[in-house]
Amino acid sequence: MYKEKASRREIIALFSAAAVTQAQDVVTIPGKRAMIVHNDRPEDLETPLAYFDQWITPNDAFFVRQHLPRPEMREADFRLRIGGRVSKEIQLSLAELRKLPQVRVPAVLECTGNGRGFYRPRVPGIQWGRGAVGNAEWSGPRMLDVLKLAGADLQAAFVTVNGADVGVAKTPDFIRSLGMRKAIHPATLLALQMNGEPLPDLHGFPLRLIVPGWDGTSWVKWVTSLTVANEPDQGFFMNPAYRFPKHPGAPGAPVDRADLEVIEGMPVKSYIAGPADGDKLSMGATVLRGMAWAGEEHVTKVEVSTDGGSTWREAKLSPQNLPFTWRLWTAEWKPMRAGYYTVLSRATDSAGRVQPFVAAWNPSGYLFNAVDRIGVVVEGA
Amino acid sequence: MRKMMLVAGGLWAVAAGCFAADSQANEAGRKAEQTACVACHSLRLIDSQRLSAAAWGKEMDKMVGWGATVPDRQILLDYLTSEYSDAKPVPNPAISVGHR
Repeated sequence: MYKEKASRREIIALFSAAAVTQAQDVVTIPGKRAMIVHNDRPEDLETPLAYFDQWITPNDAFFVRQHLPRPEMREADFRLRIGGRVSKEIQLSLAELRKLPQVRVPAVLECTGNGRGFYRPRVPGIQWGRGAVGNAEWSGPRMLDVLKLAGADLQAAFVTVNGADVGVAKTPDFIRSLGMRKAIHPATLLALQMNGEPLPDLHGFPLRLIVPGWDGTSWVKWVTSLTVANEPDQGFFMNPAYRFPKHPGAPGAPVDRADLEVIEGMPVKSYIAGPADGDKLSMGATVLRGMAWAGEEHVTKVEVSTDGGSTWREAKLSPQNLPFTWRLWTAEWKPMRAGYYTVLSRATDSAGRVQPFVAAWNPSGYLFNAVDRIGVVVEGA
Repeated sequence: MRKMMLVAGGLWAVAAGCFAADSQANEAGRKAEQTACVACHSLRLIDSQRLSAAAWGKEMDKMVGWGATVPDRQILLDYLTSEYSDAKPVPNPAISVGHR
């Protein structure tokens, strides 16, 4: 694993942007480094690209998405209720959850709306740039083991998951239903830990759902109930929210509600994490680096272009090729002339999916995965 | 010359009047935004977006359906549309102060 600290210049750039925009309005988020703040109540925080300098995204740099005010959780009072199509309704304490076999799964968590800010025409919602994604090691009991304790009917179609967060006024509750096939997958966890520490409050303390390879919407936080059912929940956060058009429409065109389907999985995607967009490089050998991920598939190839897409060559992928997590890549580059360069990266996965030049516009701005692009200036000797 | 000055003065008065009306409407809009929106989220969530009038209208109606109190729909809609129009540049991102 390579490790390279964010350059001093990047950090200074971050802080000076903060000084310009937030002179009289300073936000401090306990337990977090300086983050891009899209909403401070509740906290919706984006990871600056400069922090993607290693395989694991540390907890204090990990992005945060909250739909509703964060609930106050007390460890002693905590109970997970399992009901619905079960032979016996049960409630589990944290101590009981800790007694089950603990499984550790590294997985990329990406907000379904990551990159929304790049769609044109613009769509409503948090205007995420590139940083609503991260890679962490999650650990806790398998959902399957928890369901078995209650004698759940594993032939039922869904497990509906609810967290302790509730809406203000008439804002709908955040409830998600997961198809049974994914719910009982051996990598689907009820995580107690994130990167070896108890889940931070912002990340769902004490219990959150981990759905490796699927978009962040399914990863319910502060989980307090599982209901085994044959029908999915009918609430707003299952329909119409977090759905994608079955057939692409023209950018800006309305989409019929009946033509939307639940998002399950993630597209193939790559980032250039270094150099940073706008960097000045000196002539001579440099290394392009980044990461690539592909939901339930494996990344099989990353290509880079340093001439705006005229020519491409393969980057070197890190040998570690685990499911659900990202692979790091590097590509050596020796620019021969001074000037401005458009640098692109494009990933391909085991299902043959290739990152597109143009991501499919959709009314809620989900699943943005266009070829990544930065611009750098190479200065003459 | 005198006539021209009168015309110019008249134009100035009209412009100033418009400006006063504009800033009054703006102030009313800003208040409406405060009243209607902050119960559930910070204003930053709104201020960071740039949308068309139609998109702001849809968002507002969604929030009213979720319990936001908007006594005068037009005042708030005009404010959102003028302040956070999709023709305006996107503001610099706000950056929190990191822990030490």
